[in-house]
Amino acid sequence: MNKFLFVIIFFLLSISISAQVPAGYKPVKDTAAFKQQMQAQSKLVNTIESDFTQEKYLSVMSEKIITKGHFLFKKVNMLRWEYTDPLKYLIAINKDKMFIKDNGKVSKYDINSNKMFKSINEMMVNTVQGNLLNNKDYKAKYYENEKFYLLELSPLQKGAKDFLKVIQLYIDKKDYAVVKVKMIEPSDDYTMIDFSNRKTNQPIGDEKFIVK
Amino acid sequence: MKNLLLSSFIVLFLYGCSLGHYEKLKSTLKPESVALHSLFGENFNSFLFKTNIRVYGKDFSGLLVTKQMQPNDYRVIFTTELGMKLFDFEFKDTSFTLHYCVPQFNRPALLKTIQKDIEILLMNETKNKTAEVFINPKDSAFVYKFKDSKLDNYYFLDKLSRQIYRIEHAKKNTKKITFDLNNYSDQFPSNIMIKHHDIKLKIELNLLKK
Repeated sequence: MNKFLFVIIFFLLSISISAQVPAGYKPVKDTAAFKQQMQAQSKLVNTIESDFTQEKYLSVMSEKIITKGHFLFKKVNMLRWEYTDPLKYLIAINKDKMFIKDNGKVSKYDINSNKMFKSINEMMVNTVQGNLLNNKDYKAKYYENEKFYLLELSPLQKGAKDFLKVIQLYIDKKDYAVVKVKMIEPSDDYTMIDFSNRKTNQPIGDEKFIVK
Repeated sequence: MKNLLLSSFIVLFLYGCSLGHYEKLKSTLKPESVALHSLFGENFNSFLFKTNIRVYGKDFSGLLVTKQMQPNDYRVIFTTELGMKLFDFEFKDTSFTLHYCVPQFNRPALLKTIQKDIEILLMNETKNKTAEVFINPKDSAFVYKFKDSKLDNYYFLDKLSRQIYRIEHAKKNTKKITFDLNNYSDQFPSNIMIKHHDIKLKIELNLLKK
């Protein structure tokens, strides 16, 4: 009887353990090698240009909120994130300056003056570059399937934990590009961003990161 | 003759002053003959707005989504453009539930104010109450008055389309909040401007999708 109970408990435990691994993925064995590869690839990229589709899932709503746009990134620390459909809204980061263009009005902020802007900046720039894996504010788990690496980052700081349960980064195995980001809130509502038409190392003028 | 003219002007002027904004409205005899329809309808629809909130010089912007869950039960969620949820409200009959709120927004006075604005717009409270119906002398169109605790909500209708083009939340003759509903398309205003008269708060809603 005890043996039977043991089997059941073991069975249940193994289910709960395997449930933590996302379906279709298995843990990465050599995480050090993966991190090294990721960093080496990221060093080769100086500019990124891409379209994106953002999907906001709210459990109480029957439909997802879909917004689309275009983004540009240039080393070091220049980012232009622009929504074009169905709304027009632009955030540009240029080193320590941040611009927001909304309703035709441009607001300019000093990133260092505001803790929230600073963390938005760090998160956006690091996400695009896949640099979050060295960030001490997150605990990382590494998974893979045939096509993708899947990085799961859980915030460790209390402030971030309030609104973020985990960030999932889907990374293409062939070029180590971040193809999808999913930010899951404690309530399991999430924001998913899919990148498409990605081009790297095309010349992008600095003026794209100044908004007037 | 000159004195008479002057005194009649004074009388007229004083009379004009003594009649407040809302006292000029004329009562109608048959209020039950025209029903006031709720703006958000009864089809369990959801509405998505680009939203700007300006409070004491600080700007918040994002996406506001409303969804009718049951008759008289609405969920209203505000997120940033980047997807971060700022607040999640539920209005059911006359009760209110705060499901979620980020710490930056969690100020009782601010939350209560925004809650009131949305409540007036959703018109849940109008469903179980009888309105006093008036005629606006300006354009001979209907105005519906609902008691809202010690204050009143006035819904001004356009004469031809019968669509609500203005809502005023007032204490006696003092306007507290005004709502301007502009650019109707398919029975719904594509722009809503909410202005508070006793605090520095403005909310603009632009419809993106319904």
